[in-house]
Amino acid sequence: MLSLVPAPIRQLPWKLLFLVMAVGSFGLVVLYSAGGGIRPWALNQGLRFVFFIFVAIAISRIDQDTLKRVSWPLYGGLLLLLLFVELFGFVGGGSRRWLNLGIMTLQPSELMKLAIVLAISRFYDLLPAGEIRTFSAMWPAAVMILVPALLVAVQPDLGTALMIVAGGIIVTFLAGLPLWLFVGGGVSLAAIAPLAFFFLLHDYQRNRVLIFLTPESDPLGRGYHISQSKIAIGSGGIFGKGFLNGTQSHLDYLPERHTDFVFATMAEEWGLIGGLFIIVSFMIIISWGMRVSLNAPSRFAKLTAAGLASTIFFYVAINLAMVMGMAPVVGIPLPLVSNGGSAMMNVMICLGLLMAIDRWTRYPKKGF
Amino acid sequence: MITRFKSKKALSSTDILTNSHIRLMVLLIIFCFGIAGVIAKLVWLVFITGWGVEERRHPPVAPLQARADIVDRNGRTLARTIDVWSIGIHPRTLQANHISDPDILAANLAALLPERTADEYRKILRSNRSFVFLRRHASPELVRALNMLGEPAIDFLHEPSRLYPEGTLCAHVIGWIGEDGHGQSGMEFSFDKELTDPKRQSEPLALSIDIRVQAAVEKSLAAAMQKYSAEGASAIVLDVDTGEVLAMASLPNFNPNDRSSSDPTAFDNKATLSVYELGSTFKPLTMATALQDGVVTSLAKRYDATEPLAVGRFHIHDEHAQKRWLDVPETLVHSSNIVTARIADELGPERMQAMFRNLNFDHRPAIELAAKGRPIWPAYWARTTVMTTGYGHGIAVTPLHLTSAYAALVNGGVWRPATLLKRNPDYRPDGSRQIISGQNSATMRRLLRLVVTDGTGRKANAPGFRVGGKTGTADKAEKGRYNHGARISTFAAAFPMDTPRYAIVAMLDNPQGIAETGGYATAGMVTAPMVGDIVQHIGPLLGVIPDPKRDLDLTDLRALLWKPAAKKE
Repeated sequence: MLSLVPAPIRQLPWKLLFLVMAVGSFGLVVLYSAGGGIRPWALNQGLRFVFFIFVAIAISRIDQDTLKRVSWPLYGGLLLLLLFVELFGFVGGGSRRWLNLGIMTLQPSELMKLAIVLAISRFYDLLPAGEIRTFSAMWPAAVMILVPALLVAVQPDLGTALMIVAGGIIVTFLAGLPLWLFVGGGVSLAAIAPLAFFFLLHDYQRNRVLIFLTPESDPLGRGYHISQSKIAIGSGGIFGKGFLNGTQSHLDYLPERHTDFVFATMAEEWGLIGGLFIIVSFMIIISWGMRVSLNAPSRFAKLTAAGLASTIFFYVAINLAMVMGMAPVVGIPLPLVSNGGSAMMNVMICLGLLMAIDRWTRYPKKGF
Repeated sequence: MITRFKSKKALSSTDILTNSHIRLMVLLIIFCFGIAGVIAKLVWLVFITGWGVEERRHPPVAPLQARADIVDRNGRTLARTIDVWSIGIHPRTLQANHISDPDILAANLAALLPERTADEYRKILRSNRSFVFLRRHASPELVRALNMLGEPAIDFLHEPSRLYPEGTLCAHVIGWIGEDGHGQSGMEFSFDKELTDPKRQSEPLALSIDIRVQAAVEKSLAAAMQKYSAEGASAIVLDVDTGEVLAMASLPNFNPNDRSSSDPTAFDNKATLSVYELGSTFKPLTMATALQDGVVTSLAKRYDATEPLAVGRFHIHDEHAQKRWLDVPETLVHSSNIVTARIADELGPERMQAMFRNLNFDHRPAIELAAKGRPIWPAYWARTTVMTTGYGHGIAVTPLHLTSAYAALVNGGVWRPATLLKRNPDYRPDGSRQIISGQNSATMRRLLRLVVTDGTGRKANAPGFRVGGKTGTADKAEKGRYNHGARISTFAAAFPMDTPRYAIVAMLDNPQGIAETGGYATAGMVTAPMVGDIVQHIGPLLGVIPDPKRDLDLTDLRALLWKPAAKKE
């Protein structure tokens, strides 16, 4: 097959990449407006975006065996890092437990959102199909999910902890664990949670949970964030106030206008149309991920793809629900749009892995 | 290997794959519901919340008009513009935008604004009213707390407010500004253009007022007004050389920060707006003119005061009738109407009018304020008019007129317009005019001092301050006739008389005699002690050092005072 473009590049899912670039670029436009110029946010975010596009493309070249091989060590390494961070608090104080990588800061807990999907998928990949309904199919997965989730929860970052749990459970659900487990688990959790809260947790843990539940120590403050955000979104109308014309964001009414609440900043200036563009774009990206899972060549690939697509969904859904006042404020950014490296890195690695799985499906013989 | 795996576990593997497909679909459907929910909320926000929101971005508040501060001569702030917020809520907007639950909001409001209960707030929030004030003039902390509730139907009206830190002190001079942000009264009105000039914002308007002096004057005035149950009171302290007003008080007064609670009559500035027949305080003016024009050639010249003076059907009496012939010092010391009338008669209408015109008694007082009363100038100068105006009846001027006139009497004879702006010590205003000679001015100082040391003004003698002055008790003219039960008790003074620096005129409107004053409410009994009190308080503030050993040499004048044989030493 002769072509000017080499096969590895030709084989990339270009439609998806264009969509991702469109959303990312739109995010840059919004950050440009929120920051009143390419500084302080748009330029750095743009550089990060370009960098991670290449990272994603590089990751898409990974082959299945390598990914399988690294999934547990990756999980184990991050777990150690989390443990280390939690026990010794060696980076920074308080709950800001991150590593500075120069171009960006990294929380090990962020990467754990992906590693949990890989590790659980690998576990069910190794598990003989016949044993899926046995107890030994359940407890290792449960331990693998709960240990990092608890470590992250006490940081305290229950938002991330919940995303780790959710990502892990999605994979176990798709792996075929008995359905009663999920239904019953959900019901009993709802019953036990209050009891556990009051009797199992220590005071400081309870406080940490409380701090999560009310991330702003001032409940009025949280109400302020949410309603200002709602106002910003509502005041945009159908077509928005126009680029650079948002008053909520520019007049500092809006909290975190470039990070967690960037959707409100965007919606004020671009209106319903801009909001729908972002939501529909992510829907296409997520459903593309699900289709990759559906067609994936192996059980590991299938579970991984679905888990990663779900992770993207959780990012988007939790952020939008939070910004629109449907969920408590839990510091989950809107991927590709919010300023900040961690979420962008995570989502781009997700996309890179999904592209890899897509490649395994479409080009079963190795590309090189 | 793959074949073997498939053949061995074919059934369950397919099972799981099918199962997995179904579960993937279930997941996708759940996701779609989630996304649909988010889109529905987005549409709701845009179409339902969005409408009620715009209003807030354009609050119905006029932009703050910058206005310079007003300070006293020492830089103390008398008027300052500060930010004040009023908080209100638009119940209809609240119901339309669906952002907060009215029940929860009502509870929050009740916690922050306890003047109403949660139930009352609930009623307001559910009412059909378009706007309700929750709190006027709220503190910044309260505004912040309410803002943090995040409800856009809560409106914060930024009301620039003019604050008068000294409250009622000097309120008539400072004045106030109206709703439109422009001055309506006092210096706020007179200098509105300068105060609102964007180029002069950094530079406060410095008044000639010394707020410490003002406070002392108002305190003494208020005390006297209460003590003698007077209807009103007024006082002015004037720099005799520059014409600067150091203090100008009018009681009853008002609080410019809260005018609504004040009696509207309190807004009148008696010192510049109200005109009075100021009685015997005019006698020194007549006497000075007589000296200047050579009508009185010697202070020892005696005039007949044995009988009331009959002019046609009209009789002029003396309050403290001496029933003998009086010389000039005696005339002032005993405040003889008869002798003053005789001297005024000798001066004649032309010279009397010329004197009054020289003192600006035919015009509104010369000052920057807008509230200036027009003097009542006699329509016809009959012989009796000339005589009565000589002792301050039949002509009515403002207390400020009299203060400026006294300044001219003692400062070397130069009349100058008064000013409320801070001036240089060597400032000499335009329109100044010499009305008597320096020599005669020196004589007047000694005569006025004599009135305080030996005459009706004894109670004004603040020890060491060399006060000189003249009492004036006039029946109050009301609706064209004299009310003999009511009087205006005035004391016009200056100090220190050896080198006069400040003129003071104080006036009590209809004071009532008390036991302490023997039932009298004459100026010598009620106003003179008040002026003495004022001088003692303000003298040190103005740099006049009391010196009991220092005084004017009045020996020659005292020699002219007749003393009963029993009192002779």
